[in-house]
Amino acid sequence: MNKSVQYLARRLGFYFIAAFAALTLNFIIPRLMPGDPASIIFARFRGKLKPEAIEAMRQSFGLTNDPILVQYWSYLKSILSGNLGTSIAYFPEPVSEIIASGLFWTIYLTGCSLIIAFSIGTILGIVIAWNRTGRLDTFLPPLLAFLGAFPYFWLAMFLLYIFGFSINSFPIGHAYSSAVSPGFNLPFLLSVLYHSILPASTLIFVSLGGWMLSMRNTMISTLGADYITFANAKGISSRLIMLRYAARNAILPNLTGFGMALGFVLSGALLTEIIFSYPGQGYLLLQAVKSQDFPLMQGIFMIITFAVLGANWLVDIAILIFDPRTRK
Amino acid sequence: MNQKATYLFIFLGSLFFSSCEKEISRDQKGLIIYQEQFISWVRNFEPLNPASVPRWPTRGGIYEPLYIYNPIKAEWIPWLATKYKWQNNNKQLLFTIRSGVKWSDGTPFNAYDVAYTFNLTKEYPALDTRNSWEYLKSVKALSDTLIEVVFNRVFVPGFDAVAGTYIVPKHIWSELEDPLKFSNPNPIGTGPYTEILRFDSQIWELGKNHNYWQTGRPNVEKLIFPAFSSNEQVTLALLSGKLDWSGAFIPAIDRIFVEKDPDHHHYWFPNTGYSTFLHTNTKNPILENANVRKAISYAIDREQVVKIGMYSYTKPAHVTSLSGPMAKWHSPEIINKENWTTYDTKTANKLLDDAGFTWKNKTQRTDKNGLPLEFDIIVVSGWSDWIRSAQVVSQNLKKVGIKTTVRTYDFGAWINRMQLGDFEMSIGWAEKGANPYNFFKGMMFSEYVKPIGEIADVNWHRFGLPDADMLIKELEKTSDPKKVKHIIHQLQHLFIEHAPGIPLFAEPAWGECNTKFFTNFPSKENPYGPLSNNEQPSFVFTLLNVEKK
Repeated sequence: MNKSVQYLARRLGFYFIAAFAALTLNFIIPRLMPGDPASIIFARFRGKLKPEAIEAMRQSFGLTNDPILVQYWSYLKSILSGNLGTSIAYFPEPVSEIIASGLFWTIYLTGCSLIIAFSIGTILGIVIAWNRTGRLDTFLPPLLAFLGAFPYFWLAMFLLYIFGFSINSFPIGHAYSSAVSPGFNLPFLLSVLYHSILPASTLIFVSLGGWMLSMRNTMISTLGADYITFANAKGISSRLIMLRYAARNAILPNLTGFGMALGFVLSGALLTEIIFSYPGQGYLLLQAVKSQDFPLMQGIFMIITFAVLGANWLVDIAILIFDPRTRK
Repeated sequence: MNQKATYLFIFLGSLFFSSCEKEISRDQKGLIIYQEQFISWVRNFEPLNPASVPRWPTRGGIYEPLYIYNPIKAEWIPWLATKYKWQNNNKQLLFTIRSGVKWSDGTPFNAYDVAYTFNLTKEYPALDTRNSWEYLKSVKALSDTLIEVVFNRVFVPGFDAVAGTYIVPKHIWSELEDPLKFSNPNPIGTGPYTEILRFDSQIWELGKNHNYWQTGRPNVEKLIFPAFSSNEQVTLALLSGKLDWSGAFIPAIDRIFVEKDPDHHHYWFPNTGYSTFLHTNTKNPILENANVRKAISYAIDREQVVKIGMYSYTKPAHVTSLSGPMAKWHSPEIINKENWTTYDTKTANKLLDDAGFTWKNKTQRTDKNGLPLEFDIIVVSGWSDWIRSAQVVSQNLKKVGIKTTVRTYDFGAWINRMQLGDFEMSIGWAEKGANPYNFFKGMMFSEYVKPIGEIADVNWHRFGLPDADMLIKELEKTSDPKKVKHIIHQLQHLFIEHAPGIPLFAEPAWGECNTKFFTNFPSKENPYGPLSNNEQPSFVFTLLNVEKK
């Protein structure tokens, strides 16, 4: 037990250093981009605004010419106190509120798609590896690999055109219908479910193959191990061997991958969001980069960083449970 | 599956799909509009701060200015003011404020609100969008209906800024702690639509102002704004009748949109009066020569640019770059001047030969030192119409021995290069305004010229002309329409002589409508205002005239 605590503490220390490095990069990288936000917003008016307005905008944004170290210090201070600043693209809205507006939808859409794709993919992988000469095994892997080779935005546009426009049986965009009011009520929840079917299926279809193949391959090599043969010889039921002996060991690489993917859920699915007008982090990030909205960019990157590190830590704990070797 | 579960499944399924029925229908009472590309709405209705991005139609639809400029008719329409008068050798401007106007909360509107708004922008320079206090001395209400604007120097173009300022209610703004951080979630305005009926991240609705001063207007109960994240989404929504009015760019619109339902699907892309430019960096040792710029212009087949680059949505540019509603400013002497926007490779070749750029081989010209004539044309990535136009230009220039490469940059990087003067050629816009003053000032005013490497917000091509400076300064002191016209004619002659920029094609204003549920949108046959909703605040003419079928 002592060993596991030590292991977790060591990982935590590592994550702390990684977080610090990420926060520093997060500060530096946006500042390496060409242009300044006031000029970009001015330019968006395409000649309809007088150049004199720029000074007014710089004043509003509070853009300073302080030395970079002073800016860095105030950046660290405000991050630690949870103050993410005021957005430039959505001035004067606070960054935290803008991120909150997209966060829920991203967690819902990308998160659910990931969990569904991971679960179905892994289970399919277990089953087809177990019956590795069966009919399922001959046609599923190539089919899913084929689907996975599609760029997901292409699949999204295809589904949108067929089911949303030509057949007209699914909505062409948005997270819920304009006829319902958001809140905890049945019509709204159903509408949200209905609206997420098309975008979620594109995300699921293209990632299913990856989960399934990696599970199948590790599973097959695990099935060749001596202890499986031994378990067979002892006459343990095949179901038990499949799940407790083989799958439990074979799932470890998939679990690590799941942890990584879980962390990146918060970065959203940019192209799906754009194609379906679905609110989320990906589009916010794009918007932030386009208008040089440093505070918003930093806020989103920070959340992604923490999510990736947090998810990795959860995976560490999960591996501790699944893999007894780490406890020794 | 046992029977109970089957029933439950069928029940849930039917419940689900009965709720889906509603998706296909739409709210027919409200006019559904697309203007801003947003994926989720932010509740902001603050009209003054140039840094804030208020929801359309805050500027013009909720808050109104003293005068509204109608770009189709090219004239100022009295709005919250009824008339104006220049006095005291153009150092004083007197506005008569409309009486009987009320704020949407019922409080009467008067000249004190107007004076308050101006003095607010004086107190907070960050709200002074047009930097008007650089030439204003004071703004005072003389009575409930009279406003006196005093200038500290004669600056007649200041009228645009003063007449176009959105007036805010004194009784709301004077209570604010910090007007700079105000997002005005519940607006009180004088405009036709003021009541927020609903505000969700995906959709919001704006109801009509029952106190509106134009009696009986607006005709439509409410406006509905779903969030759209791409032009493809907008096109699909227009086609399926879930969007009534939009200002998006749609490629091949006749085939994609109109043909599907010619009775209801309409578009109107009138030109704004100004042109899209091929900017040339006049600090470049080769491009600083006006004859080279003219040669480049002669070499461009504008018909082809318009056809391939712009889907024939517009027309080749006039040599002054002014056309459409701005054509009324044309100087009568233009016919006798050189017309370098015609397609004439012979003249182009001759000009290049005379400038000393000889053919090195059959494909390329070189300068006196034997260096080939090579330029980059920079365009914003993703702006497909301009990218295609640049490619046509590039093909055209090849024929006269100038090699050009089209390079695309992200908007931020592109604008940065333009501002720093770090480009050779580029496709871009030029300054606009109610009269060509802004345009010529942006094109030729020396004080706007910044050295290469220093940020210039206008005059990216870095061209200054002392003769033009004098005319511009004179224009700033004149309110006599005849004199104004004369000076603008002189400026055109200078523009034609020096070719500071190369106009490519007249700039169209995108506007589409679906008349299934609403009618009386502006059109070529009924041009009461622009169909494009992208110009603030002139979209208000359409807002006031559209009717439910």
